[in-house]
Amino acid sequence: MRSFLETYGTAVAGLALTLFFVAFAPNFAAPTNLLNVLKETSFLAILAIGFTLALITSELDLSVAEVASLAAVVTGALIQAGQSSLLAVAAGLLVAFGAGLFNGIAVTRLKVPSLIATLGTAAIAKGFAFMITQGVAFVGRWPAEFTGIARGSMLGLPNLVIWLALVAGGALFLVKCTRTGVHMTATGEADEAARLAGIATGRMKRLGLALSGLLAGVTAVLLTASLSSAAPNMAGDYFLYAIAAVLLGMTMFEPGRANVPGTLVAALTLKVLGNGLVLMGAAYYVQDIVLGLIIIVSVALSATALKKAAFKL
Amino acid sequence: MAPVLSLRGIEKSYGAVAALKGIDLDIGRGEVLAICGDNGAGKSSLVRIISGAQEPSAGAITLDGRTVSFRSPQDALAKGIATIYQDLALAPRLSIVQNVFMGAELTRPLLPFVHILDKRRMEELAKGYLGRLSVAVEDMHRPVERLSGGQRQAVAISRALHWDAQVVIMDEPTAALGVKETALVLDLIRKLNAEGRTVVLISHNMADVTAVATRVAILKSGRKVIDRPVAGLDADGLAHMVMTGKES
Ligand SMILES: Nc1ncnc2c1ncn2[C@@H]1O[C@H](COP(=O)(O)OP(=O)(O)OP(=O)(O)O)[C@@H](O)[C@H]1O
Ligand SMILES: [Mg+2]
Repeated sequence: MRSFLETYGTAVAGLALTLFFVAFAPNFAAPTNLLNVLKETSFLAILAIGFTLALITSELDLSVAEVASLAAVVTGALIQAGQSSLLAVAAGLLVAFGAGLFNGIAVTRLKVPSLIATLGTAAIAKGFAFMITQGVAFVGRWPAEFTGIARGSMLGLPNLVIWLALVAGGALFLVKCTRTGVHMTATGEADEAARLAGIATGRMKRLGLALSGLLAGVTAVLLTASLSSAAPNMAGDYFLYAIAAVLLGMTMFEPGRANVPGTLVAALTLKVLGNGLVLMGAAYYVQDIVLGLIIIVSVALSATALKKAAFKL
Repeated sequence: MAPVLSLRGIEKSYGAVAALKGIDLDIGRGEVLAICGDNGAGKSSLVRIISGAQEPSAGAITLDGRTVSFRSPQDALAKGIATIYQDLALAPRLSIVQNVFMGAELTRPLLPFVHILDKRRMEELAKGYLGRLSVAVEDMHRPVERLSGGQRQAVAISRALHWDAQVVIMDEPTAALGVKETALVLDLIRKLNAEGRTVVLISHNMADVTAVATRVAILKSGRKVIDRPVAGLDADGLAHMVMTGKES
């Protein structure tokens, strides 16, 4: 059996960190601050859960942030052009899903390693995003029905948190309770064995990457609705955070394997950390340094699956 | 008795290399057939054809008297022929249950049109299969990387039991194993055979062959040179035949 420390060590560290900030960071425990941390976590966690689903099939998706930015400006452009919110959201999601599927096809059919293929897609998405906006951000008036997607609350819970719960619950159900999810896991764990067992491994990889794209789209819609703006680089800051969340998540619950609960707890931990550091007066660049350290240490600790995905060039 | 599986005129070439040159082979129901031969004789090529992993360049396969062609290992499995590949077939970090049911997971209805994995039933069945093979592992959730080599073979064989395969093909199942583990695997083969299943065993180990096989086919340079009962043979005699390609 794995030791308690091996399975829950970093999760407990995250909890300890939270308690530390509760005790020592001014205003950390204020309800409005906690609520903000939770909302910030939703964007990050949804994006990172997408990355997780791709990595479960042993493929990296380095395009999530750029794809999210592209989906945001597509949605923004349509709304600013007077199209209905429904159409704009559907188009944003479709573009993101399409980008994910494109990644999947590049990886499984054209045999381009995901590290390279998704990096290429990131550049393409970035190019299109700047093309659509001509480099400026969409601001201006946004219909309430659109901003309400992210801003309102239901039954006392912020909508963002409800969206996160739905995405996390759905992803967890997929991975743990359905045949498809188990086939994705088997594909990531042992490609050849899975193929010999009759699992459509190529299809599972395409699904993982397509879902990663789709969730980048969901993140984009929520970000745009929440901020009332859409800019061609708006999700850029989430890139390192998303990777760090997945990698840190791989150190807990199912060490060495990308897993949804780990990603969720890790995303929350990272946002708590960022928020706590700011409240304690740390300079803005400290966050980046800490993030970099977390990425490296997490991989050193247990992220063998990532090493596999990254180095099968 | 009519053979379960017959091969007629099987040929296989890889570009200019002719790996199999017209193999005729009948595999009788309930026998343990050993396929022997030097390195490069064509054993694996033959097994890949029977198991659906590759198609022959020429020749015909009949299963229970009907001509068949296997599109994939999965297709062959569905038709009752399971192959146990030496080390490729298991996912080391996944559990025993997940490995036994890989690609053939059981589900139960949750809502109309929504089926979820039936984890409890799979666990019970996996336990049952290992029990039938007299392998005692308590925890069905243990990753197979934490099992011994023989126990891993048992997990792979459990998969064949789950599919109720009539023919089980094993390519060098004892190659990487110590004495005790080898004995366990030979025992697994006897248990499979006792259930009436046909076993095709590829082996370089003549002692294994004389211990469990009822018949032996020897390949040499892509041809079947010897096909005879094992009774009356010892390991040395067999080794001599593999080397010379002639009955002594
Ligand atoms: N994929 C392939 N491409 C080209 N040649 C191959 C391929 N597979 C096998 N061969 C050749 O076909 C011949 C038979 O090989 P095969 O692997 O069937 O032999 P084997 O009896 O299983 O040998 P071993 O005891 O070493 O496992 C050899 O000459 C081998 O080099
Ligand atoms: Mg071989």
